[in-house]
Amino acid sequence: MSTASSGFKLSEWIFTTDHKRIGILYLIGSIAAFALAGIMALLIRIEQSSPGATIVSDVYTGGEQYNVWLYFHGAAMILGFLIPGLTGFAANYLIPLMIGAKDVAFPRINALSVWLFWAGIVVALLTFVVPDKPDFMWTGYPPYSIKSGGNLALYVFTVHLIGFSSILASVNFLVTIIYMRAPGMGWMQLNMFIWGSFTALIIQLVFVPVLAAAVTLLLFDRYLGTHFYDPSNGGDVLLYQNLFWFYSHPAVYVIFLPAMGIFYEIYATMAKNRIFNYKAAVYGMIGIVVVAGEVWVHHLYYSGMPDWIRIGQMVTTLLISVPVGLMTISMFGTLYKGAITFNIPMYYGVAALYLLLIGGLTGIPLAMTVMAVHLGETSFTHAHFHFIMGIFATFSVFAAVDFWFPKISGRMLHVGRAKVGFWLNFIGVNVTFWPLFIIGVDGMPRRYWDYSQFPAYFADYHKVATIGAFIVAVGMIITVSNWLFSAISGEKAGNNPWGSKSLEWTHTETPPGPGNFPKDVVVDAEWTPYNYSR
Amino acid sequence: MANSSSGHGHVHHWETSVAPMLIVGGILFAVVFAFIGWFSYNSTMLAVVSAGVGTPLLLAGIAKWTGEALTQKPLVEGLSPAAMPIFIISEVFIFLSLFAGYWTMRLSAGADWPPAGTPTNFNLVLPIIMTVILVASSWTYHVAEAKLEHNDKAGFKSWVLISIVLGVIFLGCTFYEYSHLLHMKFTPSTNAYSSAFYSITGFHASHVLVGLGIFVTILLAAMRGLTNKYLTFCAGLYWHFVDIVWFFVASQVYYW
Repeated sequence: MSTASSGFKLSEWIFTTDHKRIGILYLIGSIAAFALAGIMALLIRIEQSSPGATIVSDVYTGGEQYNVWLYFHGAAMILGFLIPGLTGFAANYLIPLMIGAKDVAFPRINALSVWLFWAGIVVALLTFVVPDKPDFMWTGYPPYSIKSGGNLALYVFTVHLIGFSSILASVNFLVTIIYMRAPGMGWMQLNMFIWGSFTALIIQLVFVPVLAAAVTLLLFDRYLGTHFYDPSNGGDVLLYQNLFWFYSHPAVYVIFLPAMGIFYEIYATMAKNRIFNYKAAVYGMIGIVVVAGEVWVHHLYYSGMPDWIRIGQMVTTLLISVPVGLMTISMFGTLYKGAITFNIPMYYGVAALYLLLIGGLTGIPLAMTVMAVHLGETSFTHAHFHFIMGIFATFSVFAAVDFWFPKISGRMLHVGRAKVGFWLNFIGVNVTFWPLFIIGVDGMPRRYWDYSQFPAYFADYHKVATIGAFIVAVGMIITVSNWLFSAISGEKAGNNPWGSKSLEWTHTETPPGPGNFPKDVVVDAEWTPYNYSR
Repeated sequence: MANSSSGHGHVHHWETSVAPMLIVGGILFAVVFAFIGWFSYNSTMLAVVSAGVGTPLLLAGIAKWTGEALTQKPLVEGLSPAAMPIFIISEVFIFLSLFAGYWTMRLSAGADWPPAGTPTNFNLVLPIIMTVILVASSWTYHVAEAKLEHNDKAGFKSWVLISIVLGVIFLGCTFYEYSHLLHMKFTPSTNAYSSAFYSITGFHASHVLVGLGIFVTILLAAMRGLTNKYLTFCAGLYWHFVDIVWFFVASQVYYW
C-alpha cells in the first residue's frame, strides 16, 4: 500500500516533511560541507609540507589566508558535517524506522531543522565571498576574534542557525523516542543506535544553548561594545573559553555516542549475534551523559587555573574511560564467536575498533596534567583528536551510509569500488596522522604554518602527512562517487539483504514509502533487534 | 510552535509543507543578513532591503504553519505538551549562561560595584511594577485557558487580548526605562554592569516579544474560529516560564 508516488517531483523533496527525505537532505548538506572542509584540509597540508611559506602569499600582511582555511576546516567539519551527519542524517532516517513509528513527532519542525542547517551552511559559505573573511579558528576565542578584521557575525550566525536546528531536532527526537515507540517496545529492547542518539540528543539539548549564549555575548562585545570578555573593563576573557568548552567538549559525545550506536548495529548484524552486556553498554552511554558536563576545563589547562581544579578535572576526564570501556568490552563481546560476514560496513567497523583504541589511549596522557603540559598544543593533540573524533566519527558516517545503502537507495553498493575507497581512506589516515603523533612528542606545535625555527627533520614528517592527506582525498572521491554510481546503476536490493532482525529491515519495503510500514508494528516481550537465536 | 504534524492515520503520499522553508528564508534575511548589513558593513541599504525581503517571508511562513497545524490532524495527538518542557530546558541553560557571565563580572569586581558610570538614582520602583504586570498577565492567561476549557470562545478571546495588552505594557516599561537610561549616557558599552544589564533584560524582553507573537497568533486564529487546547497550553507554559525568569532577572540585576 505505501508505495511512493511515481516519478521524481522536486517540490516533494524541497518541501518534504518526511523524515527519510529530510535525512537525505541532511546527508547531501553534510557531504557538501565535508568536501569543502576537506579541500581546506588539503590546503593546510600543502602549506605545512615545507617549513616556511609554501602557498600562502600574504605572509607580510599576517597570513590570514591560512587562518581562514583553519577556520573553515574546523567549523564546517564539526558544525556542518559530523553533527548533522549523525544527529541529522542518521537520526532522521533511522530513529522512526527502528522504533516502528510512521514519522517523527513533529514533521514540520523537522523540516524547519533541516533548512535551518542548510541556512547555516549558506552563511558559512559566505566566508568565501566577503572581503573580511573570518580567521579565528572554529573556536573564535576573544580577544582575537573581537579585534581581528574577520567577520565575526558570519561565525556567530552559523553557530546560531545550526544550533537552533540542533535544539529543535533534540526536542523532536526525544519526544519521538519517548512517546512513539511501537506498542510493546520497552526501553531495554531498543536498538543501540537509538540509545546512542537518545543520550547524544540529551547532551545536545542541554549544552548547545550554552554555546549559543557564549557566541551571542561575543557578538555583543564586537558590535555593541559590551565588556563581557574585556578584562580592562571588568570582563573576563576566560569566561568565553569556559562557556565555549562547556558545550564543545560534550559535543564530542554528541558525535561519539551515535557513532558507537552505528557500529553496534553493524557488529550485531554482521556477526549475527546479540549485543554482549547490553544493559552495561546502555548504562555506559548514560554514564557519559552524566560525566560529560564535568570535564570541559581540561581544555583550559594552558589558560591558567588553580592547581586543585586541574587535579579534579584530570580525575573526571579519566573517569570517561570507564563508560567507554564498558562499551568497548560490549563491542568485542558482540563480535566474539559471532558468525562474522566481512563486507564493507564491517571493514569500517573493524577499522573503528583500531581507531577507538589508538584515539582513546592517546587521550589518556593528554588528560593527565603533567603530560598535558608537554603534549598539549602540539601536533600530538592534533593527531589524537583527529583519530578519535575526526576519523572514527567520519568512518561511522561512511559505515552508516554503506550499511543502510540498500534500504535508502533500493540498490546494492558496488563492492569493488567501495573496497578500493576503504583501503585508500584507511591507509591514508594512518599515513597522515602517525607522523604527527611522532613530531608532536618531539615538540611540533599544532596549527603553525611556519615552523622553520624548529628541527629541520619535522619537514620530512610533514611531507609524509601531506601525501597521506592526498591518499585520503582520492579515497573519499572514490567512496562518495561510488554512492552516486551505485544509487543509479547498482543491483536491485531485497528488503533485508543482511538478514538483520531490526525493524527497519524486517518490517519495511525497500526503499520505504510514505508512512514507513505497510502494516502497523507491534512487538512482543521476546522481541529485540538482536534476537538471532530465536 | 505546537502540534505540528501533517500526517494522517495511514499515509499514502509524500507529505509536504512550504511553511518551514518560508520561515527559514525569513530568518536568514530579516535577522542574519539584516544584522550583517547593518553592523558588519554599515550599510543601511543592505539592512533595510534584507529586512524588507525577510519579514513578509517570516510572517507568511508563520501564518501558513499555524493554518496547517490547526486544521490538520497530527500523527499522534497531544505530544506538544511534552515537547514544550523539554524545549524550556534548553532555554534555562541559555539564561544560566548569561547569568554566569554576569556573576563572573560581579564577583570578580568585589567592592567596586556598581562600576563607575552607573547612575546612582536607578529607578527601583519600576521593576516592581513590571513584576506585578507580568504576574498579572500570567494569571489572565490562566483565566483564558479556563474559559477555553469551558468552551467560552468569546471569554477566551477577551482574556488572551487582556494578556497581550499587559505584555505590551511590560515591553513599554522596558522601552521607557531604556530610553531614560540611554539619555543618562548609560549605554551597553558604559561598563561591566551596563553590559550585563542590557544583555539580560534585553534577552528576557525578546522572550516576552516571542510570547506576545504566539499570543497574537492564537488570537488571530481564534477569531477565525480555530482553537487548539495543546497550542494554548504550550503558549501558557512558555509565558509562565518567561514570567519565572523575570523574578531572577529582577532580583539579580536590579536588587543585588
